[in-house]
Amino acid sequence: MAHTDAHSSRLGRLLRGIALTAVVVFFLFPIVWIVMMSFQTNEQILRIPPRLVFEPTLINYKALISGKLVTAAGSLDLPFMRNLGNSVLLSAVSVLVSLVLGVPAAYAFARFRFRLGENIAFTLLSFRFAPPLLVLLPLSLYFQDLGLANTYTGLIWVYQLICLPLILWIVRGYFEDASPDVEHAYRVDGHSWWRAFTRIAIPLAGPGIAAAGLLAFIFAWNNFVFALILASADKQPVTVGALAFVTASGIQYGQIAAAIVLSILPTLALALYAQRWLVEGLSLGAVKG
Amino acid sequence: MSDQRGLSVHALEVTFGRNHLLRGIDLDVARGETLVLFGPSGVGKTVLLRAVAGLEPAARGQIIIDGRDVTTRGPDARGLGMAFQNFALYPHMSARDNIASPLVARGVAREERERRVGAVADLLRIAHVLGHAPRELSNGQKQRTALARALIGAPGVLLLDDPLRNVDAKLRYEMRLELPRLLRNAGAATLYVTQDYREAMALGDRVAILLDGTIAQLAAPEDIYDRPASRAVARLFGDPPINLLACRPTDGAGGVQVTAAGLRRVLTADRGAIGRECLLGLRPDAIDVHAQPRPGAAPAELVATTPLHERLVVLLRSAGGEEVVASVLGAVPAPGSQVWFSAETAHAALFDAASGARIAAAAPIMEAA
Amino acid sequence: MTLALSQLSKTYPGRDGHPVRAVLGLDLLVQDGEIVALLGSSGCGKTSTLRMIAGFEDVTDGSITLAGRRIDTLPPDRRRVAMAFEGYALYPPLTVAENIGFGLARDRRGLSRKDADKRVQDVAEMLEIADLLAKRPASLSGGQQQRASLARALARDADLHLLDEPMGQLEPQLRAVLRGRVKATLKARNCTSVLVTHDQTEANAMADRIAVMEAGVLQQFGTGAELRDRPANLFVATFFGEPPMNAFSARVQPDGLHPADAPGKAIALPGVPLPDHGVNVVLGVRPHHIRLGEGTLHGSVISNQWLGDQAHVVVEMRDKIVVAVSHARVPLRVGESVAFGFAPEDTHIFDASTGRALAHGMQRP
Repeated sequence: MAHTDAHSSRLGRLLRGIALTAVVVFFLFPIVWIVMMSFQTNEQILRIPPRLVFEPTLINYKALISGKLVTAAGSLDLPFMRNLGNSVLLSAVSVLVSLVLGVPAAYAFARFRFRLGENIAFTLLSFRFAPPLLVLLPLSLYFQDLGLANTYTGLIWVYQLICLPLILWIVRGYFEDASPDVEHAYRVDGHSWWRAFTRIAIPLAGPGIAAAGLLAFIFAWNNFVFALILASADKQPVTVGALAFVTASGIQYGQIAAAIVLSILPTLALALYAQRWLVEGLSLGAVKG
Repeated sequence: MSDQRGLSVHALEVTFGRNHLLRGIDLDVARGETLVLFGPSGVGKTVLLRAVAGLEPAARGQIIIDGRDVTTRGPDARGLGMAFQNFALYPHMSARDNIASPLVARGVAREERERRVGAVADLLRIAHVLGHAPRELSNGQKQRTALARALIGAPGVLLLDDPLRNVDAKLRYEMRLELPRLLRNAGAATLYVTQDYREAMALGDRVAILLDGTIAQLAAPEDIYDRPASRAVARLFGDPPINLLACRPTDGAGGVQVTAAGLRRVLTADRGAIGRECLLGLRPDAIDVHAQPRPGAAPAELVATTPLHERLVVLLRSAGGEEVVASVLGAVPAPGSQVWFSAETAHAALFDAASGARIAAAAPIMEAA
Repeated sequence: MTLALSQLSKTYPGRDGHPVRAVLGLDLLVQDGEIVALLGSSGCGKTSTLRMIAGFEDVTDGSITLAGRRIDTLPPDRRRVAMAFEGYALYPPLTVAENIGFGLARDRRGLSRKDADKRVQDVAEMLEIADLLAKRPASLSGGQQQRASLARALARDADLHLLDEPMGQLEPQLRAVLRGRVKATLKARNCTSVLVTHDQTEANAMADRIAVMEAGVLQQFGTGAELRDRPANLFVATFFGEPPMNAFSARVQPDGLHPADAPGKAIALPGVPLPDHGVNVVLGVRPHHIRLGEGTLHGSVISNQWLGDQAHVVVEMRDKIVVAVSHARVPLRVGESVAFGFAPEDTHIFDASTGRALAHGMQRP
């Protein structure tokens, strides 16, 4: 219902254009810079003053993919590709588990009023409020005792703290937006409760579920501190693995940049694929509750 | 327990927290019969429909369909067809799949399904839009699709929740003409919810007036119009609403003499009405407006006129200051004029002013000037 | 305050690249103190027109002039227009009284607190929401919110009052009463008003003149009586009037009209100026002008509904459905055969291809 002034002046449009350009440059500059760094050697990067024109090299990517980092101090093994694989595995399985648990729970919170319902929903959300470090120390002790430390299972379990509340609250908003009459009509047609849930409720909340899943994936992917404490080298995701570039002989900026570019790619591809859903999901579902 | 075919509701009670939404509802609807549930919004018409459908739990009482007690059954096990006010079509399915849904639930084979969807779509004249998604349908087509879905399973009980509310006037009128035949052929016990009294009269074999969660009157539509059980029922049923004129009946020759808004009439009525504060109910269409005085007519000022379809709704102010609404055919003098009005009292009603209950069906004995 | 719409057009960019023309070259003059209804079914362009007047929608072409000021280039807050929204648009944190008084405070800085409160109280009583003034919108029913929204618009002093389906959510009984009261209020304060509605009963009861729209085009602009007695085209004829006008396809022959659904029958219409022989026309007759039991046409009764003060009888003539309305009971049973006809002065003749009205039998003053 926003009023757009049809007869805005030329000056107004010019100013608007400049402002928009400034915003775009501000947000895109770090990303462009990282991409440029990933094609330079450490020496080129550390040149003062920095240059915009340079001879690109694939050396950083080669090092990451081959897993061998050659520095002045000697050669070093880099488990980067394994880290990347861990990231994909941990994020994907965590989101899947969260969807299986969270979507039915979201439906229950949206459709049924039960005792302590709001309290339970809020408690789940409150997991996102607490600083992770608060729970990490005791958790790592428990995990040692339970044999869950440094296992995928343990990490995926902890990742539910990130994914589950997100999915629960976004998807709940979607279920609440859909008219229950449509499900009622399906029930009256003679279908069971389960079929009404799977054939009507889930497809209608589809965009919300997709958006919530994607968002949860990104959050899980970007997580650092849980994996840092609870996983050792062979189970670590890229966020933690990137620490290896801080070597005794200095910080490997080129490789870090290349690693960032590679680790952005999967989420970027996913996000671009589901961009429309994501925006819709965030603006429709999440603001309700 | 009744073993008749159709729908029986016994002593049904529906509660929400501590509030009673419905109390002591008793209904019997035979197969092939249409019972209209009529009342203002918020009196529980939709709640009753939903309780019969199994979408709202019954706190007490029984719901029996074709002799089978279904009170505790789920909505999928009651053998119902239902059309919702907001259509409630499945947005991600084509009109064809929407209509076929009850057949899919029963495992009807594909060819048989196609045949029956085609037949009901022909009947409702939506065969050309079967491949469309609901969002591509006009409101009228949506409404017909919803109706087709309710009818296709040849259900024993058909629940229609104000299905014409969200379609435009022309379509609503067409459906009002078409529906009686459709419903007769469907042969189901039909509960039909509406807020439009003309729709109630056109479609109902009988009408149940719901007020405050209970049935205030259950009768043939004409009986409700001509002999409303209470002041509240009389006010609801009719447009423009019935005139209710204060009066205190006196003993008259051969009946009860009533003087209201300057009109004097002798009615056959329970003589118990004599001396009590009463309200005389006169339908606006029973009142005639004259430019010249005549015997039996009372003087009034013509305040305003409003066109209503082919009629003219005339607001009169009697010599005593009471407002009287008349609905007349033909021309009347200009607003501000002095006029005279008379009343046809064949269907006049007398209500107790305190309780609102009807005192007697009144018939004219004689007119006194 | 006069409102003039001149060659007003609105085109939306369509989803698939085809522009959607919502309003096309609309000319409309609303006189000072006049109530005009924009009447049409959904998608006819009436709401787009209203939103352009209010300033929520840019004007693609044409102009809007209110009280001598060109307003289509002004932002909504400077147009001095009050509006009742179909979706209520009440301010949730404010009470009903604060909502109603909200615009009032702005319109008249000089209005004393006492007078403003009185104004709010009066309009709330008129709309029967005086007992709800201290409540907040969220605790009200849809009908109550709609009346609060209407009250907010009516309380204001504005050059123009826009009412967008102001009574759609009200119960029929209340609607019937409020139509008259709202009209009286607007008239008493000489408010120039535009009412958007799809309900012809409401348009007829409240408006001085009615603009019938369809497919973005103004079909006819006139009083209810003009629309009823002299419809400009077949669309208006069958849209306006309840039940809708009966329309018979027919061909003009030397001995009168030959209806397509009654072969061999000729309907003589003395006094009605018919077009040339051989022309295909549509003959329109309103349901209450159909006379049952007399006339040259025949059909069988398929329904006979008594509605308390009128009977609606539906007769099927071959595949043609004919509706007759009588103000007395009709002793006909379903399945019975019946003759019917109509008087020449009760007929309307339309061009079969363009739908334009060619002649009206009725020559009422």
